[in-house]
Amino acid sequence: MFSIRLSLIAAVALLATGCANNSPTLGSKNISYGDTKAVETVTNEFGSTDLQMIAESMTRSLAQSGTLQGRPVVQVYDVKNKTSEYIDTREITTSIKTQLMKSGTARFASDNTDMQSQVDQLKLQNQSGLYKKSTVSKTGNMVAAKYRLEGSISSIVKRSSDYKDVFYKFSLQLIDVESGIAEWMDEKEIRKTTER
Amino acid sequence: MRCKILGVMALALLAGCATPPPPAPGSAASKVVAMGDLKNIEIGPMRIARENGFMTVNVSLHNTSSYNKTMYYRFAWLGNDGFPVAEPEAWKSLTLYGTQSSFLPAIAPVPKASDFRLEVKTP
Repeated sequence: MFSIRLSLIAAVALLATGCANNSPTLGSKNISYGDTKAVETVTNEFGSTDLQMIAESMTRSLAQSGTLQGRPVVQVYDVKNKTSEYIDTREITTSIKTQLMKSGTARFASDNTDMQSQVDQLKLQNQSGLYKKSTVSKTGNMVAAKYRLEGSISSIVKRSSDYKDVFYKFSLQLIDVESGIAEWMDEKEIRKTTER
Repeated sequence: MRCKILGVMALALLAGCATPPPPAPGSAASKVVAMGDLKNIEIGPMRIARENGFMTVNVSLHNTSSYNKTMYYRFAWLGNDGFPVAEPEAWKSLTLYGTQSSFLPAIAPVPKASDFRLEVKTP
C-alpha cells in the first residue's frame, strides 16, 4: 500500500516538473525579436535597409579607394537632408564612422557635436585645480583633421493613381582641408516603388 | 549473370543520383550558400582580387527565366581560419530583368578578410 502511494506521489511530481515552463521567455506571444539585417519593405519611406546599404557601400568604397593612407584624421560633418521626409542623418554618419574605424583606415577628430564636450573637459582639467597636475591633459595638443567628410541625401518622389516611386541619392565626398580639393567622392542610388 | 551485372549497374546509378559530389574546394560553387532552391538564377564565374589591401569580388549572375526575378543576397567575410572577420552584412535585394546577365560587385569591410561566402535566396 505504502509503495503504491509513493509511486503515485513520484508520478505527480514527475508530471508537475514536466509541465513547468522552462522557456527563457516572458510575455506576450505577439511580440518577437526580428533579424536586424533583414530587407525591410514595410513602407517605401527611408528605412533600416537603406541606412545599412548606404553606410556599407560608402565605407567600403572609401576604405578601398586608397585615399586614406596612414590612418589620417578625418572630421565628419552632418549629412544634409534635402529630402522631403525626416531622416536622422546623424545615424548615417555614425554608421560610416563606426565602420571606417573598424576597418582601421581612419581616425576621427571631435565633430561639431562632440567639440563642446571636448572643450569643457579640457577646461575642467586645466582651470578647476581639481586634478593632479601629472594626469591633466594639456591644452594645445588636439590633432587637427587632414580631411573633412561631408555628404547629402536627396530624393525625387513621384505619385500616380497606381504607383508611388521614391528615388534616393546619397552623395559623400572627402575633401583635403589644406588644399580644398575633393580627393574621393561616391554616390549610392536607391529606388523604391509601391504599387497600389 | 546478366541480371547481376544489371543490378550492380542500377545500384551504382542510384548511388550516383543520391549524393551529388560536393563542389571542389576553392571553386566558385563552394563559395555560394543557397538558402533553399535558387529559382531561375544561375551563379557563374567569380573574379576575386585584392585592391589597396582589401579583397574585392565580382560575381556573374544570370536570370534563366524570361520574367524579371528578385533575389536576396549578402556576403560573409572570412579570415584565414574560416571564421567571420566582420559583423554580418545586411541582406540586400537585387532585381534581374528577364534573361539578363549581370555582375554583383563587393568589397570586404576589413583588410584581413581572405575568403568569403555568398548567401543567396530567392523569394
